[in-house]
Amino acid sequence: MVAKMIVKIDNVSKSYNKHSVIKAISLDIEKGERVVILGPSGCGKTTLLRIVAGFIHPNQGKVIIDGNVVADNGKCIIEPENRQVGMVFQDLALWPHMSNYKNLEFGLKAKKIPKMETRKRIDEIFEKVQMTQFKNVYPGELSGGQQQRIALARALVMQPKILLMDEPLSSLDADLSLTLRKEILRLQEELAITLIYVTHDREEAFSLASRIVVMESGKIQKTGTVSEITAYLSGL
Amino acid sequence: MGKRFTLYTTIFLLIGIGLAPVLYMFIRSLFVDGGFSLRNYETLFQSDREWRLLFNSLSLAGATTLITVLLGVPLGTLFAKTDLPLKRFFTILFVIPLLVPSYILAIAWFYCLGRSGIVAMIFNADVGILTSNLLFGFAGTLFVMVSALLPVVIILTITYLRMVNPNLEEAAMLYGPWTTVLRKITIPLITPGIALAGLIVFILTLGEFGVPSFLRFDVYPVESFTQFSAFYNFNTATAAAIPLGLITLVVLIIERFFLRKKTFIFRTMGSEKKMLVVPLGKSKPFFMVAVSILVFILVIIPLCILIHKSVSISAYTEAFIRSIGSIMRSLVYASIGATCLVVFGFFLGYILARKAIRLFYAVDSIAIFLFALPGAVIGIGLSGLWNTPGTNFIYASMCIIIFGYIAQYTALGERIMAATFSHVPHSMEEAAQNVGAGWFRRLSGILIPLAKRGMVATWFIGFIFCLRDIGITMMVYPPAHDTLPVRIFTLMANSPEDVISAMCVIMIMITLLPLGGLGLVKRYIK
Repeated sequence: MVAKMIVKIDNVSKSYNKHSVIKAISLDIEKGERVVILGPSGCGKTTLLRIVAGFIHPNQGKVIIDGNVVADNGKCIIEPENRQVGMVFQDLALWPHMSNYKNLEFGLKAKKIPKMETRKRIDEIFEKVQMTQFKNVYPGELSGGQQQRIALARALVMQPKILLMDEPLSSLDADLSLTLRKEILRLQEELAITLIYVTHDREEAFSLASRIVVMESGKIQKTGTVSEITAYLSGL
Repeated sequence: MGKRFTLYTTIFLLIGIGLAPVLYMFIRSLFVDGGFSLRNYETLFQSDREWRLLFNSLSLAGATTLITVLLGVPLGTLFAKTDLPLKRFFTILFVIPLLVPSYILAIAWFYCLGRSGIVAMIFNADVGILTSNLLFGFAGTLFVMVSALLPVVIILTITYLRMVNPNLEEAAMLYGPWTTVLRKITIPLITPGIALAGLIVFILTLGEFGVPSFLRFDVYPVESFTQFSAFYNFNTATAAAIPLGLITLVVLIIERFFLRKKTFIFRTMGSEKKMLVVPLGKSKPFFMVAVSILVFILVIIPLCILIHKSVSISAYTEAFIRSIGSIMRSLVYASIGATCLVVFGFFLGYILARKAIRLFYAVDSIAIFLFALPGAVIGIGLSGLWNTPGTNFIYASMCIIIFGYIAQYTALGERIMAATFSHVPHSMEEAAQNVGAGWFRRLSGILIPLAKRGMVATWFIGFIFCLRDIGITMMVYPPAHDTLPVRIFTLMANSPEDVISAMCVIMIMITLLPLGGLGLVKRYIK
């Protein structure tokens, strides 16, 4: 059976005032893959993720999500709110003035999902991330790991086709990071969602990825499986 | 789409309401009898009187700036960085003059130092003549302007001192005592803040109309007003206003190219650590006495004079009878003005903080230019543009006053909201967009709730500035639309002192009451 391509990044470039951040990158991602973009700070990995999300428009090249062109040569064809892409931000970006329940409900209301359906979906996702008892608590009252779960739940409750994660575990200690990585893997498998994960941490990349994309200075240096990339990096 | 529409609509409204009248006024002054001519300007600059006015305006603005900086920086440093007792109380007292129209201070000093003032009554008529001669003219105007604008320097000094990275001071403390640290590290670090304070004081003094007019010190805004209101000579009034506009522009260009970069260098060194406090030690009583004397002279005396002069029920009854309409109008117009400033400030502040459009810098420049422009200049422009048969419904209504407020004070809201948005991570809005929320839902669900403190602050500051405004209101108010500051200004020449004093006290009270209310609400919420 041929795997369905869900994201196609075609010859995408991005520059700011003549400073090139992304240099003619092409990348195909298949449905259900766990792609980790690995690279040092400033290599353009977050920019690439934000281009897929729609927050940054590439100067040239095309981005196709699930067969639809979403950005084409500097033009935003489909706005971020309509791309059906979930994202967990580096700073989590939980809305401090809303309870955890409201944080999840906000997007569903925006999409005019019926109330019954909204409640069902939120309850289910709270259960999945094991945060049911914190439904009516505010994000500021949670620990770092719990906030992480809420951010993940907020992205997943929208049932996106792709989940983007921008170094979400960078601020956590090693033990908690390990636990949450297992959680992310479990949820990804359970929901059969495509994951694009950005990190500078090799260990994190190796434990999460089904495929790793190594980036440096705005270019893809190497793409491969965990063992291929391990071999590549040890040879550097 | 909705976002671009909202932001561009706000920009076009600001240009239409604020910039268009000024440009119209300038263009119109270049045409005489239907043809292009520089006659207005030739006439203007051929007269010695105009040069004298320009000299007076610049020397008053320069001297006020110098003295407020020399006094305000040490005071701000004392209040922000030392263990001076009652420093918060002193700060509040020093800020009061900024909350009321400056000319009210001039009235208070007139009742004290005028020919038949309190000093003359205590000593004798000769002393009264001497103090009156000192009050009316450059020295008196300078003194009142210093006491009115000193809070600007104090507030900005305190604000900038709070932004200094304490690590830099701690590092310097290894090499010298506190006095050296303050002199060599702290104060040089806040130079951009001091320069900004000086700039604001210079611009506000240059555009001041009420105090010089009352104390009979001839300056440009008074000339513009006289030409416009007394002789209804639009072209001469405009020509007289243009030099002020040009000076403002030059000062702002200097600020853009010189101060702005320095401010950013300074700001990037911010730290979460608490500010270091300088122990005053044995000098504490000395500073305490010095600050008390200063606050007594600059704030307590004028306030007490007004209260003393007005202390009778009949005076307040009369004041209310004569000005109840103006009080109500002041409150209504200031509330509407403040609400408009919140709306304009919200979107323009968003543009500035998020660099939401390419020309964000130009939009900010327009708002700042209008803020810096003397109210009289904007007032003349508004009258010129809107005083046509087709637009009389605006010119003859309170709309023209509200337009004036928007034109002059939008920059305040813009800067407060930009500072507010800089504390709201961009990812908060992106997260909302990511879960499918469009612009208006992001506005109502995320941006407004997260920025509401800034919006409340903008409303109150906008309310105070609209309430105390006289420069624009005096120029544009339609018949039966006068506000309280205008009412006091027009009545004070031929009304009993106790009634005018009572009106001034009412003016101070209606300015301070909302602030007191806000303080109580904040305490209750806490």
